[in-house]
Amino acid sequence: MATLKSIALVAVVGSLGAGCGKLHGLGGAPTPLVSFDVAVTGTPPAGAGDLDVALVWGRQWLIEPLCIVPIDARDDMTAVTAVKLAGCRDPFGFIPARVAANAPLNPDGTATIDLFALPSADLMVGDLTARVAYASLVVYDDKNGDGTLGLAIPFRPADFGGMGSGAGSGSGSGSGDLFHTPDEVLGASFITMVNDPGGAVIDQRIAYREGAFLTTGFYPRAGCGDPPPAFSVLAASGFTIADAGSATMMGTVPQEADLSQCVQRTPESGPVTFGYGLPADLPLVLSRDVKELACTERTTDSTVRYREPPADMPDLTNRTSACVHYPSFGDPSDVIEFVVSGRSDDSCVGLTHYILKGCREGPDCGTPDWDHSLAPPSWWPC
Amino acid sequence: MRSRLRPVILRCVTRRYATLAFVALGVSASSAYADSGRMIDDDTFALSSHGPYLVDAGLLAGLPAALPSGITTGIGAGLMRECGCRFGYGVRASWSTETASSITWTVTHWDTRLRAVGEVRYDAGRGMLALRLGAGTTIVHEHRVRNQGMRAGLTGSALEDSTTDALPAGELEAVVGLHITGPWLAMISAGPSLEILDGDFRGGWVAQIGVGWQP
Repeated sequence: MATLKSIALVAVVGSLGAGCGKLHGLGGAPTPLVSFDVAVTGTPPAGAGDLDVALVWGRQWLIEPLCIVPIDARDDMTAVTAVKLAGCRDPFGFIPARVAANAPLNPDGTATIDLFALPSADLMVGDLTARVAYASLVVYDDKNGDGTLGLAIPFRPADFGGMGSGAGSGSGSGSGDLFHTPDEVLGASFITMVNDPGGAVIDQRIAYREGAFLTTGFYPRAGCGDPPPAFSVLAASGFTIADAGSATMMGTVPQEADLSQCVQRTPESGPVTFGYGLPADLPLVLSRDVKELACTERTTDSTVRYREPPADMPDLTNRTSACVHYPSFGDPSDVIEFVVSGRSDDSCVGLTHYILKGCREGPDCGTPDWDHSLAPPSWWPC
Repeated sequence: MRSRLRPVILRCVTRRYATLAFVALGVSASSAYADSGRMIDDDTFALSSHGPYLVDAGLLAGLPAALPSGITTGIGAGLMRECGCRFGYGVRASWSTETASSITWTVTHWDTRLRAVGEVRYDAGRGMLALRLGAGTTIVHEHRVRNQGMRAGLTGSALEDSTTDALPAGELEAVVGLHITGPWLAMISAGPSLEILDGDFRGGWVAQIGVGWQP
């Protein structure tokens, strides 16, 4: 009985002296999965206001054939070149898919981006045993002050056979306009995979790897080491456009131009340093500038969608257009399409394709969904 | 002639088998009565007098002491001493666990309850009713794992952490016991509980079902 009383006494006294550590439960500040230090060098452009840095995961996307195949000799070289310049983005450039995190840029040009979630499965390329995702660190002027980089998609209005509003994958500007973003990209760590003859490293990317690593055509860096498991910072010199062309013809991926610039390191080993704008010597391939890094693409399979020409002539104001032979990697095609670029003041470049006979997938679809080849619309210019 | 004989023969055979069956049952019954190692007898469920000490143990369920939701489950045990015919006192202890998740954390709590208890009781035949008040401490051991942390390569305290805290706590339970056989009871208890977490009172509940032993 005395023992029982002693135990009871200990229990009561214990309750009075309770307290050892702080319980957090499900609350408390979440620990970042990884943090990236960023250092942006140089002077921001005049007029830049609220500068932020965003971590943007990349999309798997293929440029449309018209933008990369040589211009058909039968076509108007000047007009087609103008359309390609106005409507094609860099075929080797980084294509944003989703903004994962944002952080304000300090006056000294530094920032720290904390990432609280892994990239989702749709951002990773590969299967469960070997998959990888890549991201670019983007410095931008947060014009609308919403604290995040708004992504836009190419503008294809309804009278251009577009899907109209609400049918896209862009995050938009926050105002419901998917085709326009007020935010202005000023620079990025990973802009393009093309080598800069001036020596600037413009392929510094964030990588997240699960399982093994397989070299694929998803932002390849052939010749460089594999990204380490989990998060890492990678750098590469980029490849030349000539190497990219020959590798494509051989069905391989182009080798990096300067393997000494290959870097695979942990995020803790130092900041990711990059500057504003584009290097002066960079051979731009069609894209206008780094502003395209605020543009994602609406299609998930990169296929080109073709339109049936409307009865009335579409509004071509502020657009560039040309008649082009249907691009082919084999024998030249006799099909002529009418290609119209987006407006010059659109946030993102893009092309709209009209064919007189065919389907959404193209002119070679078996039974065509429309056929105006015998009676083209009166405005048809080709 | 043959048709008249058949029912008579059938009746005789049936009567003979019935007699044999009764004899067999009687032998079987008498042999069972003579078995001294049987499990149940006339005194098996008799209510006998018992001592002042009651030990019980069983399965426990309740609201976690420091998690916002869920049901913590585990085991509990107690030792009571009857003090007079209406009162009793003793100690109780229980351990239970619950795991909950949010977007960023998976948290496991081990709740160890140590209580000094007093009760008011009423015996009614085989039954025992009591109102039990307990006070003491609930020692909460917390283990948190950062979701996706292992895939992201986190290690050490960035991946998981543990801490222990002791919370002042108590509960008021209704207890029902039923003397089943000999010193054994079936017991069930349930009632509201109260913990002090970060200076705030936090209500909950706890319930237990199990067996008691009162020699």
